[in-house]
Amino acid sequence: MTHVTMTVNGRPVSGDVEGRTLLVQFLREHLGLTGTHVGCDTTQCGACVVHMDGRSVKSCTVLAASAEGASVTTIEGLANGETLHPMQEAFRKHHGLQCGYCTPGMIMAAVDIVRRHGNALDEKTVRHELEGNLCRCTGYHNIVEAVLAVAKDAPAPAHTGA
Amino acid sequence: MAPFPSPGDPGDHRQPLPSAWPNDSYPVLRHVGDKLFRHIGKPIERKEDQRLVTGKGRFSDDFSLPGQTFAAMVRSPHAHARIRGIDASAALAMPGVLAVVTGQDLLDAGLVPVPHNPVPSTRYDVKLTAPGGGKPFIGPHLLLPVDKARHVGEAVAMVIAETAAQAADAAEQVEVDYEELPFVVETAKAFAPGAPAVWDEVADNVFIDSTYGDEEATDRAFAEADHVVKARFHIPRVTAVTMEPRAALGAFDAETGRFTLWAGSGGAVRQKRELSEVLGIRPSALRVLSFDVGGNFGARNRVYVEFGLVLFASRLVGRPVKYTATRSEAFLTDYQGRDLLTTVELALDKSGKFLALRADNVSNVGMRCVSLSPLSKGSGLITGSYVIPHATLRARAVFTNTMCTQAYRSSGRPEVTYAIERIVDIAARKLGFDPFALRRMNLVPPEAMPYRNAVDSTYDSGTYEANMDRVLELAGWADLPERRAAAKRRGRLLGFGFANYVESSIGTPKERSEITVKADGSIAVVIGTQPSGQGHETSFAQVVADMLEVPVAQVNIVLGDTDIVSVGGGSHSGRSMRHAGTVMALASDRLIEEALTRGATVFDVPREQMAYRDGRVVAEGTNLALDLFELAERTEADFGPLASVADNEMHTPVFPNGAAVCEVEIDPETGLVEITRYTSVDDVGRCINPLIVHGQTHGGIAQGVGQAMWELSYVDPDTGQPLAGSFMDYGMPRADGLPSFTAEIAEVISPTNPLGIKAGGEGGTTPALATVTLAVLDALRPLGVSDIKMPVTPLNVWTAIQKAKSNPNTDPEAWQE
Repeated sequence: MTHVTMTVNGRPVSGDVEGRTLLVQFLREHLGLTGTHVGCDTTQCGACVVHMDGRSVKSCTVLAASAEGASVTTIEGLANGETLHPMQEAFRKHHGLQCGYCTPGMIMAAVDIVRRHGNALDEKTVRHELEGNLCRCTGYHNIVEAVLAVAKDAPAPAHTGA
Repeated sequence: MAPFPSPGDPGDHRQPLPSAWPNDSYPVLRHVGDKLFRHIGKPIERKEDQRLVTGKGRFSDDFSLPGQTFAAMVRSPHAHARIRGIDASAALAMPGVLAVVTGQDLLDAGLVPVPHNPVPSTRYDVKLTAPGGGKPFIGPHLLLPVDKARHVGEAVAMVIAETAAQAADAAEQVEVDYEELPFVVETAKAFAPGAPAVWDEVADNVFIDSTYGDEEATDRAFAEADHVVKARFHIPRVTAVTMEPRAALGAFDAETGRFTLWAGSGGAVRQKRELSEVLGIRPSALRVLSFDVGGNFGARNRVYVEFGLVLFASRLVGRPVKYTATRSEAFLTDYQGRDLLTTVELALDKSGKFLALRADNVSNVGMRCVSLSPLSKGSGLITGSYVIPHATLRARAVFTNTMCTQAYRSSGRPEVTYAIERIVDIAARKLGFDPFALRRMNLVPPEAMPYRNAVDSTYDSGTYEANMDRVLELAGWADLPERRAAAKRRGRLLGFGFANYVESSIGTPKERSEITVKADGSIAVVIGTQPSGQGHETSFAQVVADMLEVPVAQVNIVLGDTDIVSVGGGSHSGRSMRHAGTVMALASDRLIEEALTRGATVFDVPREQMAYRDGRVVAEGTNLALDLFELAERTEADFGPLASVADNEMHTPVFPNGAAVCEVEIDPETGLVEITRYTSVDDVGRCINPLIVHGQTHGGIAQGVGQAMWELSYVDPDTGQPLAGSFMDYGMPRADGLPSFTAEIAEVISPTNPLGIKAGGEGGTTPALATVTLAVLDALRPLGVSDIKMPVTPLNVWTAIQKAKSNPNTDPEAWQE
């Protein structure tokens, strides 16, 4: 067993995990944050995307132990109290979700895309960068619309690297 | 996306409620029949989304219980093998292992096979029988087999352990003594002489063999025809790939003797009925909960063995048992889709008029039959959107050593749409007709509606040629030559693929709705459908809100708990909006009648003096009025809760229809196909929420395009091994492979039900296999390519180009065989 300590959604948390415990398992099973989903076992689907130290990661491919000391944001921590994050609001407004299973990972990935590209984001880039987030319901059309709508109002691109 | 018209706008083509359907009666609505639509038809944002965008959804694996244990399955590595023995001793000695369960244990405990009822049974479904008539043998579905494993991945034993990892580790230690047997996996080989039998009871694997239509008249028409074209197509097997893998949590309460199952499905009521029968318990001793469901597309409509197994195991070990499929397990053992072999022949006269059609359809149901919906639904639609006076169809279903197939998005319709649209295209090319003119001259005209086709499906309504005109306009037909030339300058081949379609929505005929006016100021509507992304909580609320004249926000749709929902057909076949809309309108009507009766008593006026306006009961000619909530509160003591119940049974199918265009550009050097435009016009009948319907169209297009472009559940014929077991080897539609779509809703009101609804879930998928394939063929025609199989991967396209180069004069018809 390994003892891990990290910050999740602004709250310090810790727990004892097996060496093989994945970050997504720690979030879902130890912390009860079931908004982060698992849709595959090969790092393909992106349902498990969270932010780790400000960048999007697939939490099925990060060991809980290697998130030691990190600051993690999950879908549960994205809204500001009762006020939804603009990306959450845009997904609702543009009907960017149907069953909602891919949605948490999709939104977390999209927030990171807009952070990096800002108002310079175009459709081709959105589609390319969401290639690692699978959705079976929407055909991506309204997801892309939602992301572009948020980007339109975003500041100029951040130059913090990929 | 088309703009949403407001009532009264020039673009508002909504029509008044239809008069009664002449051939079938549906409920007469006294109070709600002429409601102005304030909410219906509006793109209202979904009530579901707040929880789903904040991570508060309730999917199956999100549920956990104190003391829960975990199940893992031992799965067959062989396509066909006799189980000579199972030795669990090594597994039982592993850390944390609580039990190992085999098929024999289940038989000893008195469990019975899943009572699948695969033959569609409404009055309007095509009747499928065993060869020579009678009830077919479908292959008993025990939760775990005792005699043989019949496909790779079939669960043959279950391990229960303290943790999921311990269960998975121990499953690998269960020793199964298999005797490998000959197997068959390919549709065409299954009914060939000498094929290995999947079941001893059906030596030739053909368990359904039925013929429809007027054979004599069809033969006569073929004999007199000027032209006959014939082709054979295989629509390959794919899988639904719900993003949420299936999961189940079972618990047994020893004190009450009651089981509870948390498991997302296509309808909790069916799961309760069938699983209680399997377990040999009273239905009331099982509660099934199905809240947020991460996709269905047909795959979740039938019982999965793991659902029954966790229930059985929870009683055995005295603790809750959880099972969550891995994605690999989902690829192996989710119910799969399509897999139809079809041979079609079309007879035409000199002018191009269609005279008759013959079809021979063979459905590969896998190793046992859980559903004949794909074969049956397709059978009624073999003539497509066209007037073809005579037709006959031989419909067969065969067993193979593969996972079972089931209804998959637009069950059976994309297959036959592919066949008719391709044979029409072949006829045009081969006989020298313009393919668009040929289609046009044979389309069912609006004045022929209701139109009974040659295999007895009665298309309710539709303006097929208008769909065709509109989609061609939207797709930029006029400047196609310029685009083609521009692509050519870039070294690309442009292809334009068009298809008409008509599909059918039938589905389980019964539905119930209970409406209760609650003290907290809300209206609760209980309904037995099961959404998995279709937004029922919103669109159903819109209907009830309009009927009762209250805000949408006050209407709560209650679903998915069998302790509350007693009757319900679930969600499949595009049935939900139409069945639920009708029964909710009926229940609303009754609620208003009850409210008026109570109002008359409260106000002490004659019943005739009462009226219902703006959500209030009003005594005409007085200032006496109460809203529904005040009335409920005032009358509860004397009359009980203000509530209504309605049951409805509606058999008459509806026929959503439309037309679609796919435009592609192909790199002839690599064979890479890029979809550059996709356009669709879909007649869904009355559209309740265009935001949701457009979303359904987009997703439907992606699933149809996915099958045509990338997806394939390939099983190696030499080893019987499925070769697509993860997202690394199954071609999912991804964001970067699809364009944004142009989708427009046509609203030709159906005369078959009070709200005029058809269906909006399947129209995107139905023509897409044909449009993509025809677009690719259009692009490759200058290179001499006249046939290609799905999916149109770079390898398949490149191979077709090379074949055409080496043999430029191939007859298109010969290509098909």
